[in-house]
Amino acid sequence: MRKFVTALLATAATVATAQAQTDYFAGKSIDVIVPFGQGGATFVSAKFLEPYFEKHLPGNPKINVIDRPGGGSILGANWFEKNAKPDGTTILFTTSSTANPFVLGQQGVEYRLSDYRVAYSHPFGAVAYVSPSTGIEKAEDIKNSDTPLLYGGIAAAASDLPALLSFEVLGLDVRSVLGFSGRGPVRLAFEQGEMNIDYQFSPVYLTQVIPSVESGTAVPLWTGGAIEDGVLKGRDPIAPELPSVYEVYETLNGKAPSGIEWDAYQGIASVTYAYGLTGYMHPDVPQEVLDIFEKAVADINADPEFQAQSKKVTNGAKLNAGADTEKSVKAALSPSEEVKTYLRDLLSEKYGVKF
Amino acid sequence: MIDNAILALEALMDPIRLLALLGGMAVGMVFGMLPGLGGVAAVSILLPFIYYLDDYSGLAMLLGAVSVVYTSDTITSVLLGAPGSPASAPTAIEGHALAKQGQAARALCVGFLASMVGGLVGAITLFFAIPIAGPIVLLLSTPELFMFALVGLFFAASMIGKDLAKGLAAACLGLFLGVVGPASAAADFRFTFNQVYLLDGFSLTIVALGLFGVAEVISMLAAGGGITQKRMTVGSWNEGLRDFWDNKWLILRSSIIGVFGGFVPAVGASASTWVAYGHAIRSTKDKSRFGKGEIKGIAASEGANNATVISDLVPTLLFSVPGGPAAAIFLGALFSFGYYPGPRMITENPDLMYLIVWSVALTSILGAAACFVITPWLARLTSIPFAIIAAPLVLVMIIGAYQNTSTMGDIFMLFGLGALGWTMKQGGWPRAPALVGFVLSGPMEQYFWLTNQIHGWSWLARPGVLIIGSIIVIPVLVSAFKWIRARKTAVPATSNSAAEKESAADTDDSNRSIALAIAIIASVVFVYAAWEMLSFNPSSRLMPALAIVPGMALSFWLVLRGIREYRSDFMRDGSELIILAVLIVYSIAVWAIGLSIPTVALLVWMLLVRAKMRWWTAAIYGAVVFAITLLLFNVLRGDAPVGTIISLF
Repeated sequence: MRKFVTALLATAATVATAQAQTDYFAGKSIDVIVPFGQGGATFVSAKFLEPYFEKHLPGNPKINVIDRPGGGSILGANWFEKNAKPDGTTILFTTSSTANPFVLGQQGVEYRLSDYRVAYSHPFGAVAYVSPSTGIEKAEDIKNSDTPLLYGGIAAAASDLPALLSFEVLGLDVRSVLGFSGRGPVRLAFEQGEMNIDYQFSPVYLTQVIPSVESGTAVPLWTGGAIEDGVLKGRDPIAPELPSVYEVYETLNGKAPSGIEWDAYQGIASVTYAYGLTGYMHPDVPQEVLDIFEKAVADINADPEFQAQSKKVTNGAKLNAGADTEKSVKAALSPSEEVKTYLRDLLSEKYGVKF
Repeated sequence: MIDNAILALEALMDPIRLLALLGGMAVGMVFGMLPGLGGVAAVSILLPFIYYLDDYSGLAMLLGAVSVVYTSDTITSVLLGAPGSPASAPTAIEGHALAKQGQAARALCVGFLASMVGGLVGAITLFFAIPIAGPIVLLLSTPELFMFALVGLFFAASMIGKDLAKGLAAACLGLFLGVVGPASAAADFRFTFNQVYLLDGFSLTIVALGLFGVAEVISMLAAGGGITQKRMTVGSWNEGLRDFWDNKWLILRSSIIGVFGGFVPAVGASASTWVAYGHAIRSTKDKSRFGKGEIKGIAASEGANNATVISDLVPTLLFSVPGGPAAAIFLGALFSFGYYPGPRMITENPDLMYLIVWSVALTSILGAAACFVITPWLARLTSIPFAIIAAPLVLVMIIGAYQNTSTMGDIFMLFGLGALGWTMKQGGWPRAPALVGFVLSGPMEQYFWLTNQIHGWSWLARPGVLIIGSIIVIPVLVSAFKWIRARKTAVPATSNSAAEKESAADTDDSNRSIALAIAIIASVVFVYAAWEMLSFNPSSRLMPALAIVPGMALSFWLVLRGIREYRSDFMRDGSELIILAVLIVYSIAVWAIGLSIPTVALLVWMLLVRAKMRWWTAAIYGAVVFAITLLLFNVLRGDAPVGTIISLF
């Protein structure tokens, strides 16, 4: 039903502005700023989407994906704050690594992320899995592990935050070893038997972890979840056979999760997973441009070539755009003071992060 | 396996694919020669073009570029003394010393052939990736990786040179530079002074370019004339061929060191190159020529760096974990073509695997051959006044540094570290231990922390740890044993004071005032660092303390020694100081008013004042250099620095 309404709205928007937008981007080029290095997942995803936006945006603009790494993505985002054009030809395409420092109010952040307009977003689901040596066979067994659970990560305040918060929500006793240089080395450490619980994002899960699952060296447990009626409780299309963190909590405790741990998890996890890769625009970009992107995103989602390709990489995850998406992203970017305090306290007490 | 290999060779022999491979190789050769620009820049500039080709051609193009960079960078390192890429810094030390003695041909010949062997060893490793290399990678857990870093540090100790205090102080300085930025153990950002720029720490490219490249350019500009006083003879390769054959086993051993460097994710070619160089020093009886032009140093480091960049592809293809920065971009390209490296890709696309093997093997051979062909032409550059080459060289180094974050911080850092490198050079502080310390401090801290967190202290009993540890322990025991025996049989040496005199004579060419100045600067830095260190989480203090505590003591001692040995000879290097000042003023001007006007002024100064070119030749040449600079900025980055005070481009 929701899809139908979205489609209807999209069609209505098309008819209304069709005349004005036929050639909006004709002869223009759009710079997509990626605040990470060229080999990173964000850059690769931006390159993956590039041809589809070139094809479906009116006027077929040339899209340049530009990497501006540094400062754990803060440098690139700060650059965007100073240099973005208010006409939709500069896009900041980034992940929760940019959002978390903003939400937590870390030093050096000059960008006003929650003021930006949200042009489009690509989900970036994550799957938790354990080593068979734990004796765990399904999500409900998680508290009955044979061996102490050990999680490897990069840094508490960066992309590991939702994983660590999910352990808080579920009340798990997981020891985390932070300081790895990337999720790839963590996965290698898992395969070597040094770690026994891990999270991986969808493309890596589908191409690297599933072979391990098939050969019996990894047991998938749950996903971060997908937004359903504004709550992060739905099943992630990347692995619809697996429950979400929400469901796992329900099974373990016999009631729906609530409280500050859940609020914090839902906020951080939705910017990390459900709106994992988001294209932001200058705050003064006219609504017309955002409507154009919404229409282009609908067209891309309907493009059979895109469907075939995204089936391979993300198990068919679709792009999001429009008012609902923007509302959810902005809500996640401006959590209540209570949640902020909780996060800052947790990070500084448990993980030694300084603010 | 053989069937697939032959099929893949046939696939590669398609004319378009061969052409793509050669095109990539040509780009890789040029970028290898440009200091500061290496595999990453070559691959990223080619990236947009590969999408016009089919998957095999596109990947062949990238591989052509990746596998030749560490061959052609030898040319720059030897002829100009500025490392063509960070991993060829040892080649710059030894090769450039040889070039100054008129033996460039010998150095280059050995460098090219060692690179070729390294590339082929890398290709063979890839060929056996599934049955052999992959399982080895899986055996190397964090404790073993930590032991590798220790072995690297152990070998690095051989580079300290005769002046023990200065060498160790330089190593501590390098270790200290390496801990700037995020701590791996806890959420501390160390010594960042609230600058977002420093949140990632220093970039290896900029440290290598600053310490070696900028310092070398300054000295050569001040000396005037060409790079060599004698005309370089690159006609005969015979001597080099003989050297190559004499050192064949050293090159092979170094290539194997390089292969292991590639297996370790995120520890790139620069670490394994230094390890191989240290190995060459340790395994040579007469160590006196190291640092002054030792062919073995080139043989070892060139064999290692090329092997590393290719075996970087093993973790990339088998586990989707890039072994180095260029491999990371290659991984991105594989994704874009719809290949998802991992256990499945190898069985699903065996042809692709062997196509990669053939591409790197072919490029290793053709690349070395091409370098032999172009070198006689490039060697002519060395007899023209250096000031003419210096202008484009400085600009290329700026572009190379600017690849890091594309902010002014890159340019300031380049010249700031350039000033440090120059001061160290004049003050007799060896720069090699500093760079090695910098390269190893990150992985050492990270792997030590992870190892201890995961395994407690039980890791010390792991078989892999013991095997790797024996690489350190056995040579130490052997030399201790020899030393004891020598003491028993020989007459107690009276040469102690003679040796001291000799070493004093050796450091005589250092500028005493500058030596004192750098000792004072280092003392101040270490004292401040010790104070700031107290505010870190305890687990983030270990590595900085390892650098700061001995560094501080050594610097204090060097200050005392510097005062005792003080001579008022500061102005001896006044002409070099002027050039350093000009470069620093230039970087401030670029920050204030943008790239164009200061660059034109710098060109005018270099070409008319330093090189004394006629004004019209200078105008044409300067215009060409300026245009190419802007073009490179545009192609690589999309924009050049814009002024902060007056925003001129």
